[in-house]
Amino acid sequence: MKPHRLDEVKEALRDVGINGLTSSDVEGFGRQRGHTEVYRGAEYQVDFVPKIKVEVLVEDDQAAGVVDAITKAARTGKIGDGKIWVTSVDQVVRIRTGEMGPDAL
Amino acid sequence: MPEPTAPPADVPAPVARLLDELSALDRAYSLGHHGRWSAARRAELVDTCLRALFVEAQPRGVDLVALGGYGRGLLAPGSDVDLLIVHDPGPPDDVAELAERLLYPLWDAGLGVGHAVRTQAECGEVATSRLDAATSMLDGRLLAGDGRLWAGASDLVRAGVRRDPSAFAARLREDARARAERYGAVSALLEPDLKEGTGGLRDVQTLGWLQTAIEAPLEDAGLLRASERAALEEADEFLFRARSAIHLETRRSTDRLLLELQPAIAGAMGFLDEPELLAVDALMRAVFDHARHVQHVVGSVFDRFDHGTGQGAAIEPTPAGILEALTASARAGGAIPVSVLDAIEAGAVVEDVEWSERVREAFLELLRTGSGAAVALESLDRTGLLVRYLPAWAAVRCRPQRDPYHRYSVDVHLLHALAAAGDLLGDAADDPLAAQAARAVGERDGLLLGALLHDIGKNGRGNHVAEGVRIADETLDHIGLTGPSAELARFLVAEHLLLSDTATRRDLEDDDLVLDVAATVGTPERLAALYLLTIADASATGPLAWTPWRATLVRELVAKVQRVLERGQAGVETAERLSERRAAVRDALAKEDPDEVEEFVERMPPSVVLGVAPERVARHFALLSTPIGAVEVRTLAGEGSRPSTYDLTVVAADRPGLLSMIAGALSLSGLSILTAQVFTTDRGEALDLFEVEGAFDPVVGEDRWRAFRGTLRRAIEGRISLDHRVREKREHYPVTRHDIPLRVSVDNDTSDFFTVIEVSAPDRIGLLFDITRSLAELGLDVHLAKVATYGERVVDVFYVRDELGRQVDDPDRLSELERSVRTRLAE
Repeated sequence: MKPHRLDEVKEALRDVGINGLTSSDVEGFGRQRGHTEVYRGAEYQVDFVPKIKVEVLVEDDQAAGVVDAITKAARTGKIGDGKIWVTSVDQVVRIRTGEMGPDAL
Repeated sequence: MPEPTAPPADVPAPVARLLDELSALDRAYSLGHHGRWSAARRAELVDTCLRALFVEAQPRGVDLVALGGYGRGLLAPGSDVDLLIVHDPGPPDDVAELAERLLYPLWDAGLGVGHAVRTQAECGEVATSRLDAATSMLDGRLLAGDGRLWAGASDLVRAGVRRDPSAFAARLREDARARAERYGAVSALLEPDLKEGTGGLRDVQTLGWLQTAIEAPLEDAGLLRASERAALEEADEFLFRARSAIHLETRRSTDRLLLELQPAIAGAMGFLDEPELLAVDALMRAVFDHARHVQHVVGSVFDRFDHGTGQGAAIEPTPAGILEALTASARAGGAIPVSVLDAIEAGAVVEDVEWSERVREAFLELLRTGSGAAVALESLDRTGLLVRYLPAWAAVRCRPQRDPYHRYSVDVHLLHALAAAGDLLGDAADDPLAAQAARAVGERDGLLLGALLHDIGKNGRGNHVAEGVRIADETLDHIGLTGPSAELARFLVAEHLLLSDTATRRDLEDDDLVLDVAATVGTPERLAALYLLTIADASATGPLAWTPWRATLVRELVAKVQRVLERGQAGVETAERLSERRAAVRDALAKEDPDEVEEFVERMPPSVVLGVAPERVARHFALLSTPIGAVEVRTLAGEGSRPSTYDLTVVAADRPGLLSMIAGALSLSGLSILTAQVFTTDRGEALDLFEVEGAFDPVVGEDRWRAFRGTLRRAIEGRISLDHRVREKREHYPVTRHDIPLRVSVDNDTSDFFTVIEVSAPDRIGLLFDITRSLAELGLDVHLAKVATYGERVVDVFYVRDELGRQVDDPDRLSELERSVRTRLAE
């Protein structure tokens, strides 16, 4: 999603009871291709557009609500708003305690 | 140090005694007070135990030797007991048995013991091939045995390093470089390795080995001054205590002062929280300070060893003379020669510097050397003089920064930023934008000063930007610097986060945002300087700060702001006007809650504030005070700037095609649109400003506004068809004149953000409604519409963007638009 929506997404997730997430600075392109910027005659090509990737681990029954919250918070209505994908996770372990599964969330 | 957990029952008596005494020693002093005295005592206890075990074993033809730190008679609580068994050449069976009888009880008791078994010849060989073996044997000390074998082995090792002290010194330097790479600097890192890091305990030991190699005290050889020895001793004791405290706190033999250990270690070593410096920060400041001394002294000693002690250049011992000497050295490149440093220290400046014009010019001249200046100022700091020039430096000296990005203390970060800014101004980097920016900066001194001072406000009093502005002001005054350079430096300190924060946290497709930044920055030159400082700041922060990700975002912002500035759409004057206007809005709302007013003023797009009279802006306060409902329509009408025109504001929840709905509803309510400006607030409300006039009845009263609101609401709810009703209404009025041609033109040059579409058409009811419907259908966002009526001909100008928020340059889409408008207007 777009970098400037991170705070909104964080807040929206907090509102639906999600208290942890991992965010990474990523670059990529999709339908929003790169573009060229010009500054004082110096040109440079932006092939990959800077985005934020957010990862959230939740229990199955929370997933729909999380997707909904992120969609609302990250949407600007313009191309480049990003994508959400939901995948299943085989196992989660909290390293400090060794707790597994939902307890580790 | 090992937790004395019930040793096995068959523990030999000497070992049992040792464990008791060690644990008593650990308890005899508090955590933070196990210095070298305690370490010496610990070594003695182990000596006694080993000698007793040795006597019991009754070996023949062997010497037992203590190596490394233990050899020097210093054993930290978690240190390994390093031993060497020197034996006669021959079958080593007996020796293996001896090792078993000496070492197993210690291992079983949980002590860390390292050992080597070598003949005399082997000692010589291993010393040649492995530096660590050589140095640990240089520190060797006979523990038991008749000493004959060890004396020979020790002579071999010593002769090895004394044969060619220069080669040995080079090996020590190489090892220091490797350690620096692996462990980093104790003087800078937040989690330093006190033993192996640069400026740590190992570096102190290095000087001892060098001394052995040259067979004379370093002082006698002119390599070390008494004051330096004193600083070294002090640092050694401090770092040793800190390291011992880590061992005792963790019960492990680790030498890294991890973040989680710092509170305990700081407390144990007597550091207390103070208003502007937390105890943990005070601990780290002391660690950094001592490590810098070690680094400086060790570096100086090796420099003198390599390049000779020299007689010291003739340096005028005045504040200006010192700076001039440093500039000369900085220009020559590399480290400041020791002779220069010696001369500076010898003629030390004892009081705060009086900044005369000559001092000021010398200081600027030094700064102009960029990275050379950073090295020079660092050296000046080691001699304790920098704070005499810049008293504000004291608050940032050795002050740690606790965030995931900063790798260095504040002062080191500032010096790195200065160096980076100098490099960028020199033959700028691979970034073509930076190269262009460097060419655009006229006030180079201002940029260098800005880099040197940008974080000077990180003094523990909170809000480092505001503090920074205050201190930079004071400092520039103190230096006596005025004029454009000082101005630029002040500006850079105040705004050094602007580009980076805006680029990563805000929507760069928001033109108001870009205008705002442009207004704050004011001139292309300042923008160039700010861009260079942003790069310098980030690259001085650490390897994680200036990523391609961040760079791309910042460049995009810079390019946009630059174009706005080039077009003169914003600048210093705009910024001044904007702040005047905002003040006027605040004045007009003096009776309201100040916090709510402030929030309102911040939220109002700058283009509204700039383009609309403050009194009118202020009237929007009530209109926007509560969030708008999904189908709610709010209006605010007042007399317009021209006779019989009205200023109308419409607020509704934003949705595609809203502008055309408003245009249709206005048309149905007998209102003609003269201009339209379209904004969206950050709460998703459309805030549309119109200038309208009564189409046939020029006096418009509240009932007509109410009717308009009702029509628009019903259109939003989908209860009426505007299209149908506008057509119906049109039938009651004269037909359109077809001799006036319809023209649609497109211009992508006038604005950086918008495509300007001009539609010239014969006037008729609902013209704007029709055109805006075509625009909405093709996904084009209207930001601004201006309607000029020339008799029966109307020229409508639209500033539009595509759904990406960019200009529209797709020719297919533009011709589709033209055809759509033509068809619609031909009906």
